[in-house]
Amino acid sequence: MTSTAAPATTGPRTPVPTSAPATPGGGSKRLHRSEKKWALAFVAAPVVGYLLFIAYPTGFALYASLTRWNGLGPMQFIGLENYANLLHDERFQQSLFNTFFYMIGIPIGLALSLALAIAMNRKIMGLTAFRTIYYIPVISSLAAIAILWQWAYNGDFGLVNQFLGFFGIEGPNWLSDASWSKPAIIIMAVWKGLGYSMLLYLAAIQSVPRSLYEAAELDGAGSWSKFRAITLPMVQPVTFFLVVTNIIAGAMIFTEINIMTPTGGPEYSTASAVFHIWKQAFQYRQMGYATAMAVVLGILILIITLIQFRLNKRSSFVID
Amino acid sequence: MRKSRLIAGIVTALMTAGAVTACSSGGGSGDDADTLTFMFRGGEDEKAAYQDAIDRFTEDTGVKVKVIVTDADQYATKLQAAVAGNKVPDVFYVEQGSLQSYVSSGVLMDITDQVAAQGVDLANIWEYGVNSYRYDGTLQGTADGQLYALPKDVGPMALGYNKTMLEEAGVELPDPDEPLTREAWLDILKKVTQDTDGDGELDQWGTGLNVSWTLQSFVWSNGGDWTNADRTQVTVDTPEFAEALQFFADLTTKEKVTPDPEQAQTLDTYQRFMAGEIAFFPVGPWDVSTYNELEFEYDLMPWPTGKSGEPATYIGSLGIGVSSSTAKPEEAVKLATYLSTDETAQQTLVDANIQIPNRIDTAEEWAAAPDAEPANRQEFLDIVESYGRAMPAAFTFSPAWYDELFVNIQPVIDGDRAAADYLAEVQPRMQELLDQANEQAEQAAAAGAAG
Repeated sequence: MTSTAAPATTGPRTPVPTSAPATPGGGSKRLHRSEKKWALAFVAAPVVGYLLFIAYPTGFALYASLTRWNGLGPMQFIGLENYANLLHDERFQQSLFNTFFYMIGIPIGLALSLALAIAMNRKIMGLTAFRTIYYIPVISSLAAIAILWQWAYNGDFGLVNQFLGFFGIEGPNWLSDASWSKPAIIIMAVWKGLGYSMLLYLAAIQSVPRSLYEAAELDGAGSWSKFRAITLPMVQPVTFFLVVTNIIAGAMIFTEINIMTPTGGPEYSTASAVFHIWKQAFQYRQMGYATAMAVVLGILILIITLIQFRLNKRSSFVID
Repeated sequence: MRKSRLIAGIVTALMTAGAVTACSSGGGSGDDADTLTFMFRGGEDEKAAYQDAIDRFTEDTGVKVKVIVTDADQYATKLQAAVAGNKVPDVFYVEQGSLQSYVSSGVLMDITDQVAAQGVDLANIWEYGVNSYRYDGTLQGTADGQLYALPKDVGPMALGYNKTMLEEAGVELPDPDEPLTREAWLDILKKVTQDTDGDGELDQWGTGLNVSWTLQSFVWSNGGDWTNADRTQVTVDTPEFAEALQFFADLTTKEKVTPDPEQAQTLDTYQRFMAGEIAFFPVGPWDVSTYNELEFEYDLMPWPTGKSGEPATYIGSLGIGVSSSTAKPEEAVKLATYLSTDETAQQTLVDANIQIPNRIDTAEEWAAAPDAEPANRQEFLDIVESYGRAMPAAFTFSPAWYDELFVNIQPVIDGDRAAADYLAEVQPRMQELLDQANEQAEQAAAAGAAG
């Protein structure tokens, strides 16, 4: 309605109603204004969301990390004292070490899921069933899976050790042994993430142009060189994506740890950084100190991600 | 263009402010004027029993109660989030160990006078339970402090035994009043640890205990303790303490009267007890409903004694506190009092077999009941009345110092390290953390007084 009414009141000087910004006075300006209001409202929605749910909490956390605060009472500003204490907090360093140790599972998981994706890309019997089976852990509740694996890892009658027993191997008591508890968590995390990575790889492999393989075959390439020279570089964007997201997710590992080893494992061998932070914040009432740890963890993740972006740019592979 | 940016900025700022005030204005308690909110935690049995008691409260008083239940392990986190979000429930569970921080940050209401005004006879409630929630600004758990919560329950951890197994092994049943010495108890453990089907492998054991939940008894009855009386000095490096821990570890590694070392820390000794493979196992009041369904007979006995000659164990407890920001303090205190002390409400909870009665008169009647199961229910009361104590970290500001003991304890339990050696090493670290906790408490109290 406004768009038809507007030109009538614009006057002779502005015959073209669409040139709104240049138009001085009149209804077109009103039209412009009302549209602008809407535009602003639309712009405001994400901006408000960002300020409210990201900028404000981030700023709050940064401030909280500079205070002594038990999470309930008033905050007391203490400058960088929390950060200074972090430098000689062995438990925090150990939990950081554990967290990064868990990331050994990322290359293992990626290699396995790429292999699986290649296998799933062939025409074999019961393909859909296999794909479904591998994907089930991804959509299952993490808490349920953690409890399941806790049982599977039981030293005495757990599934894992029974299986090893078939081959005459006497398995360790996974979760109660400081040297086996971390591998135990890694195995579980790899198993849990396999289906998701496999699915992404499968999609990537299927979108590699057939012509590349055909050309390579004409040149006499075997299946290994085809894999190395075509498949691997073609799925590299997916690999990059998975590495980045896995590292970020891996840095925040918590639920599995909290359920499978509620005390942080023997000799604190399974405690992850987030687990340690949570414990400090909610059990030991050192919310300010815990926030400082969270800030450090966030910065570490940021640095790692930046390095990855840099590396990815350097090694990116383009086919014209 | 610059102007429109400015406007966008202002609009955004206004909307943000609007949203923020919208968030904070909803603070305080429930939206409905005559509804109280009650936040607690517990399993299915407890939820049902509490719902029953609350329905009766509503019937009696006309005050509606909105119930918020969480899982046990999420409760502390959710409550803290509620406090941070300014949505403190009117009435809620408070742990012994959290009381000080909730008091000094002004979240809990001082209910000393209101409870007295309700005409509650606190002398008829377990002293340990009531005193657990008294705090004078420096010490918690003494008779002098102001009252900040009422006990939801007291949870004495008794020692139970598989009567059927002992009878089959031809062992004299433990006396309900005369505690066994550690040595006499060990003899029985050895006797019942057997290979019953002759396949060359043990299939029943004397016991199988989790160090985090049973070490207390051995240490205390041996005359040791975690700290001195005013909770400023960590005393785990004493010979009494070391001897008790060594005895505990030896049960598995030297005497071999428990399942393998690896199993000692896992869930399965609990499962094994229920499967009838273990003779002696701890029993809390909350276990009774489950254990009564088991296929063997069981009963309770005093814990075995160490050097002190006296049995010892701990009593857990949860409190019911009232928010200081509640819009209906009178009704809220009434609800807390009702759940903690009302005779009918207590009966509902006790009938569900999840706790022992809070009222001493009801409890004595309950223990003396001819159809009591286990027969020696009196043991629970004996613990509360005479030989039970609070957990070592129940009355300190943070349990970090206490947890530290258990972090690296596994080599001791596995027999790879001497107890005394380990304790000497861990004591300074625990001391440092205890100092920190005490410092935290002082700061919180000072900040609370200033704010």
